[in-house]
Amino acid sequence: MHKESELRPPLILGDKTWHDISNDVCRPVESKANKWWWLAFSLSLAAFLWWVIAVSYTVGTGLGVWGLNKTVGWAWDITNFVWWVGIGHAGTLISAILLLFRQKWRLSINRSAEAMTIFAVICAASFIVSHMGRPWVAYWPLPLPNQFGSLWVNFNSPLVWDVFAISTYFSVSLAFWYTGLIPDFAVVRDRANTKWRKRIYTILSFGWVGSAKNWQRFEEVSLVLAGLSTPLVLSVHSVVSMDFATSVVPGWHTTIFPPYFVAGAIFSGFAMVQTLLIIVRKVLTLEDYITIYHIDMMNRVILITGSIVGVAYITEFFIAWYSGVEYEQYAFINRATGPYWWAYWSMMTCNVITPQLFWSKKLRESVFATFIISIFVNIGMWFERFVIIVTSLHRDYLPSSWTMYSPTWVEAGIFIGSLGLFFTCFLLFARFFPVIAMSELKTIIKSSSEGAKKKQSKTPKSEQHA
Amino acid sequence: MSAKHKKFVYGIFKDDEVVMNAIPVLKSQGLRVKDVISPFPIHGLDHALGLERTRISITCFLYGMTGCSLALLMMYYMNIFDWPMDIGGKPSYAFYKNLPAFIPVTFESTVLCAAHGMVITFLLRSKLLPGVEPHVIHPRMSDDHFVMAIQITEDSEAANVETKLRAAGAVETIK
Amino acid sequence: MLSLSGANADQRYKIKPSQQSSVVASLYNKVAAMAGGTSVSAAATPYDKQLDTIAKELMNAKGKSVVVSGSNDPNEQVVVNAINHLLGNYGATLNLDRACNLKNSNDAGVAELLNDMNSGQLGAVIFWNSNPAYSLPDAKSFVTALSKVPVKISFADREDETAQHCDYICPDHHYLESWGDAEPYKGSFSLMQPTIRPLFKTRQAAESIMKWAGATQADYYTYIRDFWAAKIYPMQSGISSFEAFWTQSLRDGVFESGFVMGGVSSFTGDVAAAANQLSKPASGIELVTYEKTGLGNGTHGNNPWLHELPDPITKICWDNYFAVLPAFATKMGWRQGTVIEVKSGNTTVKGPVLLQPAMADETIAVAIGYGRTKTGKAGDNVGVNAYPFVSMSGGALKYFATGVNVNKTVDDDYQLATTQSHHTMMGRDIVKETSLAAWLKDPSAGNHVHLIESPYGPKTPEQLDLWATPEQPGHERPNHAWGMGIDLNSCIGCGACVIACNAENNVPVVGKDEVGRSREMHWIRIDRYYTSDTNKQNAEEKGLGKLDMYGEMEIPAADNPQVMFQPVMCQHCNHAPCETVCPVAATTHSSDGFNMMAYNRCVGTRYCANNCPYKVRRYNWFKYSDNEQFPFNMNDNLGKMVLNPDVTVRSRGVMEKCSMCVQRIQYGRLEAKKENRKIKDGEIKTACAQSCPTNAIVFGDFNDANSQLSQLFKDERSYHLLAEVKTKPSVFYQTKVWNRPAVEGDKHHS
Repeated sequence: MHKESELRPPLILGDKTWHDISNDVCRPVESKANKWWWLAFSLSLAAFLWWVIAVSYTVGTGLGVWGLNKTVGWAWDITNFVWWVGIGHAGTLISAILLLFRQKWRLSINRSAEAMTIFAVICAASFIVSHMGRPWVAYWPLPLPNQFGSLWVNFNSPLVWDVFAISTYFSVSLAFWYTGLIPDFAVVRDRANTKWRKRIYTILSFGWVGSAKNWQRFEEVSLVLAGLSTPLVLSVHSVVSMDFATSVVPGWHTTIFPPYFVAGAIFSGFAMVQTLLIIVRKVLTLEDYITIYHIDMMNRVILITGSIVGVAYITEFFIAWYSGVEYEQYAFINRATGPYWWAYWSMMTCNVITPQLFWSKKLRESVFATFIISIFVNIGMWFERFVIIVTSLHRDYLPSSWTMYSPTWVEAGIFIGSLGLFFTCFLLFARFFPVIAMSELKTIIKSSSEGAKKKQSKTPKSEQHA
Repeated sequence: MSAKHKKFVYGIFKDDEVVMNAIPVLKSQGLRVKDVISPFPIHGLDHALGLERTRISITCFLYGMTGCSLALLMMYYMNIFDWPMDIGGKPSYAFYKNLPAFIPVTFESTVLCAAHGMVITFLLRSKLLPGVEPHVIHPRMSDDHFVMAIQITEDSEAANVETKLRAAGAVETIK
Repeated sequence: MLSLSGANADQRYKIKPSQQSSVVASLYNKVAAMAGGTSVSAAATPYDKQLDTIAKELMNAKGKSVVVSGSNDPNEQVVVNAINHLLGNYGATLNLDRACNLKNSNDAGVAELLNDMNSGQLGAVIFWNSNPAYSLPDAKSFVTALSKVPVKISFADREDETAQHCDYICPDHHYLESWGDAEPYKGSFSLMQPTIRPLFKTRQAAESIMKWAGATQADYYTYIRDFWAAKIYPMQSGISSFEAFWTQSLRDGVFESGFVMGGVSSFTGDVAAAANQLSKPASGIELVTYEKTGLGNGTHGNNPWLHELPDPITKICWDNYFAVLPAFATKMGWRQGTVIEVKSGNTTVKGPVLLQPAMADETIAVAIGYGRTKTGKAGDNVGVNAYPFVSMSGGALKYFATGVNVNKTVDDDYQLATTQSHHTMMGRDIVKETSLAAWLKDPSAGNHVHLIESPYGPKTPEQLDLWATPEQPGHERPNHAWGMGIDLNSCIGCGACVIACNAENNVPVVGKDEVGRSREMHWIRIDRYYTSDTNKQNAEEKGLGKLDMYGEMEIPAADNPQVMFQPVMCQHCNHAPCETVCPVAATTHSSDGFNMMAYNRCVGTRYCANNCPYKVRRYNWFKYSDNEQFPFNMNDNLGKMVLNPDVTVRSRGVMEKCSMCVQRIQYGRLEAKKENRKIKDGEIKTACAQSCPTNAIVFGDFNDANSQLSQLFKDERSYHLLAEVKTKPSVFYQTKVWNRPAVEGDKHHS
């Protein structure tokens, strides 16, 4: 029996029993959706519809309906792709890396965070397909035998690395998420009292029974998947960063990108988790499980990764100066003082200054402050990708090709539509899937819940060793 | 072992510590404690039940090696042997020279095969597939109750087992 | 106006149009003072000292110079001829043996025609290859006068501005459907023959005239044959049968009769009288009209290639504009895109302002040839018609006006479509230049080589390679290694290569809106750079920090910047950044040394274009052919006849770029193969190399040590653009050498 110090803050508030957990987490699944859910769902669906229209228009007419040109070949499309992939990384970090570090506070948030990862990667993948000039042959970057020779793909290209990395990341996250969901579906199945709920959750739970051997294998699989997903988190966003780092464009061609991007991804991902969970815990009344302590811990991660990102920005500047390469130096001078200076300074304010506010315990534990700051962080991270991509491309080696870029309503629509897609998926998830990892959470009731801590403090020290 | 259906007596417990304490007691009383069904994994249970360590992580390693070799072989075949092309001057005439470019895909393929191989093995070995009907012994066995399965050979043993189970802390028994 | 000649000049002086005559007269006086002529009256000019120097240099190069003026004033031309005479150029650099029959016009005759029409003396008027209702300065009066003529016939191939007022339009054949002959230079006779049957129900104009004149010959072909048999065939004695002579002439295309005028002409003009007639410098705002290099006088107003060709100096497409010096615009409260109303005499024209460095102050320049209304769907209503600004003066057309009034309108935001919005090199080593003096001392002057520290010591970028070892030096070029060399000293920036490439490679026209969004499709472009007042060398002296320095380097020199041209097409890098990043291997390198592009494999991710440091890749943002939104040339069956059948027409979503005219390389290879021989140097020419009027572009084989390309590459002036990025291009440039005391590039070091 794992004994935990009574000094550690409780991870589950209130005198919760295992049955309470089952009830609290299954209630949203078993009851009808309330009006807030329907309002949010309608808005998301409408936004998603806008996505459908904008993407269809793009695919039907041509990428010319976007604002790209011969100098700036990527802008909002790849900004959004990297933004979404970055957001997804927090989920895997919470499920995998916090597992390896035995951080039990991950248990009430990992399910939602992983779901966020899945949906974020879906959104990211949508940008990959829609940004192609000929999306109807989007499968050509896959190394499939074909009638052209066979003509194989170019494994030197970071985009092919991306194909493998993103698909691996998506499928492994999906497998990890779903594996964890199986015992929880079994809980819903066993409680189900309507015919359809029983049928569906029986299928979804794959016939799970919590026998000792099953749990033994389950634990092992979770541990190994966590061990596999950890390097995946680090490698996938490194591979995404290499879309830029392996190029010759000044402002892109820098070896700091892999760690810089990974830190930034975790930074923005945790911010998005905060945004989502602050809403979820309130609407689904799960404040006893997603406590202020959880919010505090996530804010600390935001603070750390935000500081890493800030240091990376300063390092970039320093290296640009120290290298003496005039193209690199001009790239940074242009970022800070050129026509897109407003994007650069938004990025700096949102990414470097705002997370530093979390040094204050008061702000770390304030739900309202966290919500606002998390949104600013995500705005800042969006601008970071925009600044990297557009300011480097629009003014590179030969001044004769320098030009400006501005988005069209179609690009804006696709971005907002992707938010719609994301929230539609997430809202459906919150409605039909247990949003907290019930079964795993039950393992810490006796050591980390408030009730257990109270009992612990009442028991004399001499009897606490067992 | 004969092919006939195994017989079990189930004891329902409400606390995992009680279960863990009961197992050695019941075992010393000669009962064959075959399995414990719990809503969450109990630390130390597999050891107490005498379950063998799962070899699934070994399979994961093997799948990973497969993925690694497959990827390297695939890229060697496609970019060096079958149709090498002069792409940016990259040395497609020598595998080891072009190897740095192949590392990301190799790594991802390793993880892909390791993870999916292991998960599929897990699902198959545990017979978890969509459409499999679960054997639900107690409706709250996934909620907050624990089911201990004692194997018996004759139905006559059932009553004895039940008594011992209740003595060990079971709140219910099922034949 | 900064003309192409001015841009390429070693020394350029800015003068207002009204000052030109005085400058010419002053130059005459200076030369006369040294060569023993009498001086004439000449108003003062601001360039007295410079004219002294020029006169001295001209005298030092007696018989080895040429003085020309673009003026349409016969008096000024008389003074110019006198200068050339004093310099002893006639018989040396100027040869009057062969009179040029091109561009002969009769301005006074047209004025007389107007009078005749008005007085009712004319019974009929026939218009052939002319469009006075558009291009005459006083077109309105002409149209009014025309209405008084009973019979009006036009041979135009379309209902143009003049034909619309005619009673009959009898469309002439296209010149490619026609028989004809010409004498471009006295004594040179050329023949025109049709290359295609008439596409439409047209009749050759000459034949119509024959019919109306009651000629006996059945057709114009017979008429020409008869003429040549009677008049031209007797001029030679080498071929004894007319049939043989006719066939030979048709095949050669031209017959040189060897006619020579004989003798060195002596100058008999009255310089003093001419000088007295010259216009005097004026004060106030002046306007000058000019022909753009591409569009010319507007005859080809419906040619979308010409409209989309970025003007060599301004890089503006699909428009004309009022070009003014930026400082002058600031003084007047204008900015680029402000619409102004220019009034000269009875003419008022509204148009946008363009900021143009190196112009004379208080001068507005506007191109004629625009503002057509009846040329076709591509060219109608493009730009404004500036012909009304032209006036008659002393029996000749005068192409500038003084005492011009300008009003600013409320419209401040006219969008001009440009292909280049940054005009300086920002201190980067892009066009390398040197002065003649420095080059004579050291042929590699200005061509500073970047040395990179490596584990093997300092090496040039060409010597460094991540993978090459002596045993395995990289991908082989066993057969050919095609490449191109561009001599920046010869390139004048005219843009003929751009049009040639468009024609050869089915490059789509995208129209003004798309050009405005930086999406023009030209595979080759000509970058035009101005020097700026601030550069890395003098920034320190000026006390500027890096930020301020870069800010000021963006601005072209306020007074008289140097202009540099650089044609840039795909550099066919051997370590191409674009090839590495294509996920589907749509772009790879051939064993012939050039970068290939497989259109049908491209999925359109655009990473290659992002990674190209030269930005030479072009993307098909829309389907530019068979698309109503782009009704330029690939949209109907007639337009599609222009397409080169050897080159794919690209679909939407696909990347394209210069292919080194691979279809021509293929053709050359196959011809050589059929004849069982090697390819001869110079046999294959890319379209750009073929069309360059100064032979600045050379295509050839690096593997052939005797090829012209290889010889050029050995020259110390040769360099690779952005060599330090180590892309190892197959295209090289050669340093520009200015005949000036010293240039910025001489001091360049980094």
